[in-house]
Amino acid sequence: MGVQPDALPTPAPAPRRGVRIGDILLDGATIIYFIFALFPLVWMLLLSLKSQDQLFTTYFQFTPTLDAYRAVLGLDSSGSVPFVRFFINSLIVSFGAVLISLLVGVPAAYAFARYQFKGGDSLLFTLLSFRFAPELMVIIPIYVIYQRLGLFDSHLGLIWVYQLITLPLIVWILRSYFQDLTPELEQSALLDGYSRPQAFVKVALPLVKPGMAAAALLAFIFAWNSFIFPFVLTGSQAQTVTVGALSFMGGATPRYNLTAAAALIALIPPLLLALSIQRYLVRGLTFGAVKG
Amino acid sequence: MALRGVRKEYGKTVALAGLDLEVADGEFFVLLGPSGAGKTTTLKCVAGLETPTAGRVEIGGRDVTEVEPNARRVAMAFENYALYPQETVYDNIAFPLRSKRYAQPPDVARALITQVAGTLGIGHLLERMPRELSGGQRQRVALARVMVRPADVLLLDEPLSHLDAKLRATMRAELKSLGELQHTTSLYVTHDYLEALALGDRIAILRDGKLVQVGSREELWRTPVNTFVATAFGQPRINLLRGVIARENDDTLFATEDGVVRLSLGRRDLAPGTAVELGLRPRDLLLGEMPGMATLRGQVYVVEPLGRQREVTVQIGGQRVALVTPQEDVVPDSLVTISAPPDRLLLFNAETGARMSAVGDDVPGDATAGIAAHG
Repeated sequence: MGVQPDALPTPAPAPRRGVRIGDILLDGATIIYFIFALFPLVWMLLLSLKSQDQLFTTYFQFTPTLDAYRAVLGLDSSGSVPFVRFFINSLIVSFGAVLISLLVGVPAAYAFARYQFKGGDSLLFTLLSFRFAPELMVIIPIYVIYQRLGLFDSHLGLIWVYQLITLPLIVWILRSYFQDLTPELEQSALLDGYSRPQAFVKVALPLVKPGMAAAALLAFIFAWNSFIFPFVLTGSQAQTVTVGALSFMGGATPRYNLTAAAALIALIPPLLLALSIQRYLVRGLTFGAVKG
Repeated sequence: MALRGVRKEYGKTVALAGLDLEVADGEFFVLLGPSGAGKTTTLKCVAGLETPTAGRVEIGGRDVTEVEPNARRVAMAFENYALYPQETVYDNIAFPLRSKRYAQPPDVARALITQVAGTLGIGHLLERMPRELSGGQRQRVALARVMVRPADVLLLDEPLSHLDAKLRATMRAELKSLGELQHTTSLYVTHDYLEALALGDRIAILRDGKLVQVGSREELWRTPVNTFVATAFGQPRINLLRGVIARENDDTLFATEDGVVRLSLGRRDLAPGTAVELGLRPRDLLLGEMPGMATLRGQVYVVEPLGRQREVTVQIGGQRVALVTPQEDVVPDSLVTISAPPDRLLLFNAETGARMSAVGDDVPGDATAGIAAHG
């Protein structure tokens, strides 16, 4: 379940002098790619609009119904899974994780970019190394620790462990943004009567907004789509949409239509977020293009 | 403002090797040197953006070595202008006036900004963004931001280097006419000797983190301490003729290896056999034989027109000498005589590059008058 990076606007086509064979091939290739990329999403959409008894037919039988969505959202009596709560859980832990990563990571990225300090490089590499190992490597010790600390099945516990995902991303992306800013900008602010923290907030920070938007969005998507951590570290209280969507497939009759509906609902927040910060994103994803 | 034994090291690289410098109140002081000489490092030490490894920085007699940059009352125009790209020109200029330290009420700030922008001719650009400005306009905005606030010392880091030649000449003249710049103690960094000569009350030549010479433009031009300073000024560059000190009868001579040039130096304090270089400024040299002047003979190698004047390169034995003359009848391959005013000759030790005192000094009673033509 991922978001296709198709939020980037295509540049306006240049005025043509006749149709070129290269253009046709390029358009053809683009269309083929889009069919390939969007096919699973279309399949999911169809699946989510089917009724339970039409799921396993071997011929194409399709009477669109919103029953699956009703069931997922708990609007009928059949809803055994509290999906709405999982959805809210996902929102809380994903936004929480990104927020904390921004609060910690942005100043950290600035420090890494601007100051040479002992062990700085090692620290930076350690942060990156969190992403080397599969999450399964650390999940058992974390499970045991969380059980002892009482963090099991709590929002705080998930937010904390999500830092393994979101913090390195934000620190590494923003460090390169800060490095691309010429230090003279902040030095100028220092001479103009501002303190170092003020120079950081008033001069450097506004210039990396696009980077912050891009990094925050990527971090949010990774956090939102995280499966292993909530799967192992939550019970019924703090469970997230990824685990919740899958739970419809368990049991005697796998209810694929509900899973599909849940997955599509879960697609909405990252999509809305991407659209709402789109104007930063276009600049932000082209890393380091912050020239005056 | 003064630097006392300021030393700056970056790891093993020595950027400044113990700099001693004193700039008088209200003086416009120019630091001239090639890139990598430590000019910008010097400015940053004064600004407090770099902390010297050793030595002291004083402003107004006060030791400010450990004082934060924002408490030094120092304004700096950066080489890359350092305009805040997300702010309008107005907000850029207003930036210092919105800090706690230089805070002004908005209406006072507006009046100040309007006045400074008017002086610099950017009054119509105040609502623009920096990226919409040309290089010359950005440079003015950077200057306006420096001039709008009170400062004890102005630091100007190659403010004209990114402008094209024509604009640079215009801005050079404008800088000179700006009273604010001329009446505030200013440290101006450049690698362009014309800027240095045009603007500097005094000029310091910097090389490899060391001061080579400090003085007025006249002193640096007439009595350079070594060949580095001598070649730093002037277009075309000063001619340096290689030769040795020779003894003839009771006289000391400058002689080139091939014996083509033999000039009497009229002094006895030079050891025969010393390898030396004779410095001759192209614009001091005259074509033709003049009484009382040192003369050299050679063959015209090439003639290049420079507008009303022409640059003539003359082959003298194995070496070439350039000179600038208004004469139009010079043709290549013709034989010519060059005359040099004896008080303009500069003699350098070829090994160390240091100028050997007496010859060329403007000090009265010097032995230079004794130079006679030998050819």
